[in-house]
Amino acid sequence: MVGDRDTADRYFEPQVETMPREQLRARQEKKVLELVEYVYANSAFYRELWDEHGAHPRDIRSLEDFRARIPFITKDMIRAYRARTGDPFAGLLCVPVEELTSVSSSSGTTGDPEFFAEIWQDAPPLVTAQVRDLWELGLRPGDRVLSPPGTFRNFMDAGFQALGAVVIEVDTWMGNMPGVVEALRTYRPAYLQMMYPQMVELEHLAEKTDLREAFSSLKGASCAGQPLSRKMRERIRDDWGIDVYEYTSAADTGTAWECREHDGFHLWEDTVFAECVEVDEHGWHDVPESDLGELVATDLDNRAAPLIRYRSEDLVRLSRDTCGCGRTHARMWVAGRRGDETVVQGRSVVLRDVWQAVEDQPETVAGVFQIVRDRREVDELRLRVGYDPHLTGDVDALAGRLSEAVRERTGVKPVLDMRPEEDLLKTMTSVAKFPRVVKR
Amino acid sequence: MARADTLARARTLDRPELAYLLRFPTADGMRDLELTWAELARDTEWVTARLREHGLAAGQRALLTASGFEGFWGHAVIGALRTLKVPYGIAEAMGWDHRRTAVFHRELNPHAVIGLSADTLEGLAGTADVGEMFRATSVVLARPAAVPLLRGVGVTASVISAVGPALALECPERTGAHVNAAEWRVGERDGQLTVAAGEGRASSLDETPLPIAGRVVTGRCACGSGDPRVLLAEADRPS
Repeated sequence: MVGDRDTADRYFEPQVETMPREQLRARQEKKVLELVEYVYANSAFYRELWDEHGAHPRDIRSLEDFRARIPFITKDMIRAYRARTGDPFAGLLCVPVEELTSVSSSSGTTGDPEFFAEIWQDAPPLVTAQVRDLWELGLRPGDRVLSPPGTFRNFMDAGFQALGAVVIEVDTWMGNMPGVVEALRTYRPAYLQMMYPQMVELEHLAEKTDLREAFSSLKGASCAGQPLSRKMRERIRDDWGIDVYEYTSAADTGTAWECREHDGFHLWEDTVFAECVEVDEHGWHDVPESDLGELVATDLDNRAAPLIRYRSEDLVRLSRDTCGCGRTHARMWVAGRRGDETVVQGRSVVLRDVWQAVEDQPETVAGVFQIVRDRREVDELRLRVGYDPHLTGDVDALAGRLSEAVRERTGVKPVLDMRPEEDLLKTMTSVAKFPRVVKR
Repeated sequence: MARADTLARARTLDRPELAYLLRFPTADGMRDLELTWAELARDTEWVTARLREHGLAAGQRALLTASGFEGFWGHAVIGALRTLKVPYGIAEAMGWDHRRTAVFHRELNPHAVIGLSADTLEGLAGTADVGEMFRATSVVLARPAAVPLLRGVGVTASVISAVGPALALECPERTGAHVNAAEWRVGERDGQLTVAAGEGRASSLDETPLPIAGRVVTGRCACGSGDPRVLLAEADRPS
């Protein structure tokens, strides 16, 4: 159960995780200066872009120079380069393809999946950067973990095994939760990774299964792909007894996890240089630590195809204050995605408000919904909402209640398209992400 | 290198010999088997030899489609590709992820596609000519249910399949999928396959009937291997 573990050795690499910020910044500066030389010499994409902007490594002598001279990049710029040149790696690759170990990819929820070129020895880069987080969660040699469902960012097993954990091969994808519960009871694993659809399925099982007992061996479980709603998190923690650790993308440079304090996502700043900025037509500026800005990331530990000043479109609040866990690496709190806001006849509607209205209805408590729109500014708020057929007697009555709840939260009366939630979840095109804003 | 330092620290841990605890379906329900690092190393060596027979070599690329619970054989395949210096792309084997397979196939032009599933093919069929897509791929190692679909559209596919805890991999002769005789004993009983662990395996596994219809062919294959071959009924089904 929550907190039931040895807390004496919570840092896997204490000298790095609790490094004074001046040292961390000096380390970042050294890496950034090496990086700009390296990519200018080896990446066609950056060389072309920086030449256009008159940026040259010889002029970059500090982090301040780097931020002042090196331009941002966006996903659209990468896609445009790929379309123009036919290079699948969009000119980002700094080594010959033959030197790569593997190529994984993004979830692909907004277009073709983006490639991540990887060079590694013992474990792929994404899960290697999670080893410290898994240690913090309590994973130790000899512990058992259930295999996670997805492979699109490579097999994760090697990361668990690097910590000496034994992987139990169980199909944990959607539709298999009764088998997962059986495996939990049989093998008593210490860790399990969950995704949103699994949570929804478990919610259905909760009626007839003692999930608290089934999950009682877990030191923790992680959840990624999209934020948990407040209600879902409470359900998992309070009713199922799981210490749940959410994690999110560190702007495609790695991941950022909650620690045991559950107060923000830690970025490992020896692997990423993070900025929180506001960009507009006049330029950009840093946002104060208490304000929301866009996360911009630079890979510090990727010699295959580093992202440099990459605009993530994630709206975050960033703090460099030392965490209650003692780690000095920055934390962020994610508010949403730039562009997810919908403007209905001039009125702003954000996902969070719709979500709360949806999960307040017992039949739609799992929060399975999508905003359907073909552009950001629309005349009507079209919502596709998934309901639990076992809990829903009268769909029209539910729609009436839900419509009123959404209107109260957002000020806009929605046009509802009610579907069994399983039908909606089946439209997922990624193991990790359920798209909240769709075109049709 | 931050990640390299993390892994260096990890190597100092007192790690168990066990890598996986594998659950696999038998004719009588699920069964467990432990898989050690030493066994994984031997499995990797065997898969390396099989992929080399298919002509995989440095300078080529591969696409692996697999699910998260298939690490027990995925580890050996990935290890083999690394040994052969063949970078691989990776996509889910589940049907809804077929677009990722299509993008990797289009952009990376892989010499080999490994682990192709019938679900993936079904997804791809909605938007692509599967025959046209894979006929140009030199090596297609497909799961049993996908093989007849591929052969039906003129793709020369070989079988890759889990046979209980063992991996079966067809050589370019395509006369049945080889199982490593040094590690496993395969047999047939009433038209169903059986598997038992070889003496060198850490976990004992007596002859265990599997819910897999098929036959076993012994005798040396034209490829030169003396490993037995399994002929899986699912792979021989008319498309």
